[in-house]
Amino acid sequence: MKSFSVTLTVLLVISLTSLLALRLHAQEGGVEVTVGNLPRVGVSISGGEATQVVSNDLRRTGMMTPVGGGTGEYLASGEASESGLTGRLTRGGSEIFNQTFSGSPRGAAHEFADAITKAITGLPGFSSSKIAFVSSATGSKELYLADIDGYNARAYTHDHVISASPSLNHDATKLVYASYKSGYLDIYLVDLTSNSRTRIVFFPGINSGPSFSPDGSQIAMTLSKDGNPEIYTMSLGGGTPVRITRTRGSETSPSWSPTGDRLVYSSDDHGSPQLFISSSSGVSEMDHLVTGNSFCTKPDWSPDGKLIAFTARVAGQFQIGVYDVASRNGHLVTTAGGQDPAWTCDSRHLVYSNDGRLYLLDTVTGHSLPIDVGLGGCGEPTVSR
Amino acid sequence: MNKKCLAPLLIALTFALAACDEDKGHYTDLGGDNGTMPQSDNLNPDSSGIPPSPRPDVSPDSADYQTLASDTVYFAFDSSTIPAAERGKLQQVADWFKANPGHGLFLAGHADKRGTPEYNRALGERRALSVREYLVGLGLPASALFTNSYGADRPAVQGDTEEAYAKNRRVEIGVIVQK
Repeated sequence: MKSFSVTLTVLLVISLTSLLALRLHAQEGGVEVTVGNLPRVGVSISGGEATQVVSNDLRRTGMMTPVGGGTGEYLASGEASESGLTGRLTRGGSEIFNQTFSGSPRGAAHEFADAITKAITGLPGFSSSKIAFVSSATGSKELYLADIDGYNARAYTHDHVISASPSLNHDATKLVYASYKSGYLDIYLVDLTSNSRTRIVFFPGINSGPSFSPDGSQIAMTLSKDGNPEIYTMSLGGGTPVRITRTRGSETSPSWSPTGDRLVYSSDDHGSPQLFISSSSGVSEMDHLVTGNSFCTKPDWSPDGKLIAFTARVAGQFQIGVYDVASRNGHLVTTAGGQDPAWTCDSRHLVYSNDGRLYLLDTVTGHSLPIDVGLGGCGEPTVSR
Repeated sequence: MNKKCLAPLLIALTFALAACDEDKGHYTDLGGDNGTMPQSDNLNPDSSGIPPSPRPDVSPDSADYQTLASDTVYFAFDSSTIPAAERGKLQQVADWFKANPGHGLFLAGHADKRGTPEYNRALGERRALSVREYLVGLGLPASALFTNSYGADRPAVQGDTEEAYAKNRRVEIGVIVQK
């Protein structure tokens, strides 16, 4: 009886805490999503594990609550098979959409979840996105790919050298990253559909931190070939790199604006690393972003162009910060630590690492969920959009 | 300059001239663009910006890092400036180089783990470039000095103490073993 009382007490405390929890408002695409008042979506899909996959995906957005078949204001139903899924979303009996998704069972379920997310919240869904990251689980830092829910994690490299700073293109068909495979730090282009890899940048000095432009035709990167680590862009079709920065400091981690006309990067030209924006077409004025933090690295520009996520070092610990481009203000969005943020396609969630593990952060609510890839020593994530 | 110095210098010069004719690989001369080299050391006798040299055919991993291990240069936190107390080591490296002609040197830059990975890679490279610039100022040919950076990925000492961090903020000097 004693353990029953203890359990009851714990449950009561949890319930009370939940009821007293601070209510956070967010206006997203015309649909108000308040924590504690999320749209309830009944999920009932025949065949396989699609119900579970879709339910988990919806829950992970933090913007909807999946419930059993008949009790939600929305109903997501359908039939799943080995080759795909036919799914319907209805509300109060009227149909919102009816669509067929082809692919693997999990893949098709993720795409259905994305369509549901878009229809209900107005935001693009990230459930079918891929991530790439490095992990030192095997003793050397190798490159891995996975689904954004942590499933299907697999090693791409087995080089037994250090792989670093991967960047996925928009639809996860290509990846660029840096590797010491030659003994030197060079940049490689991976074609994920043909599973081929080519060394594309190998100037004297370091070649590092490559980042795909939004249209996938160029990369930005750090090269020290002219005597100092600076930012350059280069067309993937070949040609001479275009220099973007010329300072006495080091510049690293360029990230493109969504229209491709500007780059945000970190530079320590002022003493400690700070964020700057420059034109992507040549050496120009550097616009210093005052975030309120003395150490800012690894910026990532959100797909909607409004926010720049970054890593701040605060009292010796790394935290994720978000800078609002229009209002020119920054604030921290983690308290328990985090680094190397990478936005998902919805410009609200991002993937980051902390102490060797990957997490999905909802920057509106501040909630983090672990992305369990089954490996330790993980870092430098990138997300397809 | 007496006759004793002349022979090694001539050999070094020959080495330098030969290196200029090497296949430069994927390297584009931007024609007059020297870049801007940070002032890594206020007392550096020669502070011109120096682009890295075309790579030698050997991997940095095959260099001999033992011979000049005692001349590993250590740096202050977040800094690529060569501390005054470390400069004597680089004079020793210069002396060794002149006494042992025909070798190139790898300058391998490292950082402690308190920066993010990409920042650490650039910091390690800046440290290596600082050492290279200083050695050029001491008379070594730039074409015999090659830089590489490992960021925080190859610590000399594991651990989270100030002592461990201090031992990892370094540039190691590797002798290229000619085959």
